[in-house]
Amino acid sequence: MIKRNFILSFFIFLITVTNIQTSKAVEYKAHGILDIRASSTDSLTKGYVAAGQGKFGSNDGQNLSIAQAGLELSAKWDNGFSVHGVLNGYFQGSGDDNDSALGLTEAYIKYKGLPNASGYRMQVKGGVFYPEISLENNAFAWASKDTLNSSTLNTWIGEEIRVLGSEFKVTRLGRLNDDDFDLSFSATAFTSNDPAGALLSWHGWTMSSRQTLWREAREFPWFPARNDGQDLAGQADKSKPFIELDDDIGFHIRTQWSLAHRGEFSVGFYDNKATPYKVIDGQYGWHTRFYHLGTIWHLSKNLSLTAQYLSGDTLMQSPYKKDVVNNDFASGFVSLSYKWQDVFDNKKHKSTLRLEDFSVTDNDNTWGDNNNEDGQAITINHNYRLTKHWFLLAEVNLIDSHRPARYYTHQSVDLIEKQFQLAARYFF
Amino acid sequence: MNNKNITFFLILLIATLSPKSFSFDGCDNKTSGHACIEITVNSQAGETLQDIVVYLEPMDGQVLAQSSKEVVIGQRGKSFTPYISVSQVNAQVNFTNQDDITHHIYSAGSDNKFSFKIRAGQTNNSTQFSHASEVAMGCNIHDWMSGYLLVLNTPYFAKTDKVGQVKFEVTQQGQYRVVVWHPQMQSKDHRMDKSVLIESDTNLIFTLDDDMADIPLQKSDDDFDFLSDY
Repeated sequence: MIKRNFILSFFIFLITVTNIQTSKAVEYKAHGILDIRASSTDSLTKGYVAAGQGKFGSNDGQNLSIAQAGLELSAKWDNGFSVHGVLNGYFQGSGDDNDSALGLTEAYIKYKGLPNASGYRMQVKGGVFYPEISLENNAFAWASKDTLNSSTLNTWIGEEIRVLGSEFKVTRLGRLNDDDFDLSFSATAFTSNDPAGALLSWHGWTMSSRQTLWREAREFPWFPARNDGQDLAGQADKSKPFIELDDDIGFHIRTQWSLAHRGEFSVGFYDNKATPYKVIDGQYGWHTRFYHLGTIWHLSKNLSLTAQYLSGDTLMQSPYKKDVVNNDFASGFVSLSYKWQDVFDNKKHKSTLRLEDFSVTDNDNTWGDNNNEDGQAITINHNYRLTKHWFLLAEVNLIDSHRPARYYTHQSVDLIEKQFQLAARYFF
Repeated sequence: MNNKNITFFLILLIATLSPKSFSFDGCDNKTSGHACIEITVNSQAGETLQDIVVYLEPMDGQVLAQSSKEVVIGQRGKSFTPYISVSQVNAQVNFTNQDDITHHIYSAGSDNKFSFKIRAGQTNNSTQFSHASEVAMGCNIHDWMSGYLLVLNTPYFAKTDKVGQVKFEVTQQGQYRVVVWHPQMQSKDHRMDKSVLIESDTNLIFTLDDDMADIPLQKSDDDFDFLSDY
């Protein structure tokens, strides 16, 4: 409780400092995305969002939806303080298992200082935000800019990884040191991410553009260990990824090296420090930790490479400290984006090819809860910029996976799923 | 006299009474008695170099006038335009944001520290440059932006033209230090200098000892217009 109070006090301090400065000029901004999407999915009857074993966000069949209505609001003061709020909404147009939701995904206060004479710049952030991991979801409201479905790696980040915490970041600017490269290091202390790992274990790696709203509860498929008298009978029907169970503070650290106009490399480590045998109202602590590596590299004027790899483990125990779920997990992708500006003589066309490999290894002996998984995925996207704000996109995704848990609901253990999507996206 | 003639007379009167505006660079309208110094800057390989700053510093205590040159540092296409600006001490420097987004201009150097936000379409002239210095400027929102302002104690300054030349009309004869400067010059303090006695028309050639370093490209690595600034 003391630690939580500390974070709360820090938050209040930031709000106070920001309010003191309100006399100075403030700039309000509203940015966002509207993603109108038609999809055709060849998968299991229910997708993972509707508690099925399908790996896509939508169910089998055709669907029309607002795949993302995202709004990013900010107020920025001249002294470097800013306040940010991000709202996201998802509205399904058809189907019985309507996944419609609207709410907050991020809310934070930021202070970005000016570089000092040695070229070091300090930044502090406090509130609800994504730890800096995804290299795909850097458009407004955490939208992925080159594809409609994020990679399985970043779909998971969007679903289960979010923190209430404080991030301290220091950047050394090469420009002020006669170097071609910038270096940054960040450290985050956080709470409220204790159940992270549950959804990944119980539906495996998935692919969509759906983000979990702050404090939203998400469904997962049925499996025999949830029956009465079994090891997971006490687990609630839905998982709440963003709650605090034990008042222990987790951390995330990250460092990045970027070479001007060539690209960047980053490496980081996340540990939610959750107590794995703590359970409150059917929500268990999952001690989840992983490292992540990433690069963006501009191979030529038109060709860019983005690659990420994430690997870690998660542990959930009974109140008597017996391992109930003990998994290792990994996911990685390599993505190439090509701008057709030399072929079409305009900057409107861009294509992206993404290859992925993912796995979950189940290390425990819990009956009726096999979390093993092994799979590969391929994504091909074409992006056409119609006007300054409107983009038209077409995307094909194919996921080939082996997942024994599908046997519990009498579905194929080995499965190839396909999705084709057309989208009109408006950014503002 | 009809109205037309009155207008003509008035214009003539105003033109005669207004102080003569004097340009310190260029010798095209040279007054007799003044000396013209022509300076050429060549690369190590003998090629002419454009946009290199050249200035004259008086060494015999010559008192020189204040340049009336207006200095405008534009922010256009998320870059400092021009990359290098030059001004005389105490001259007004206007920062003009021609983009449709906000910039946060700063200089981190202890010598000439300043910062201000400048909204789309606005001009800011709040910063006074009261002593000679080399000001390296950046934008705290767009890290790739990089520009320089060279503040000098002399009105004799210019950037080399297409053929690598500058000319100055020197009103007061005497000893001058001729300095050639560019942030990417690979020499001590990014400069070269020569001391010359200017009494009559003079030609001077500078040849750099080393190749110039690459001028930083003021361009974002990602041309997507809707990135979140995390």
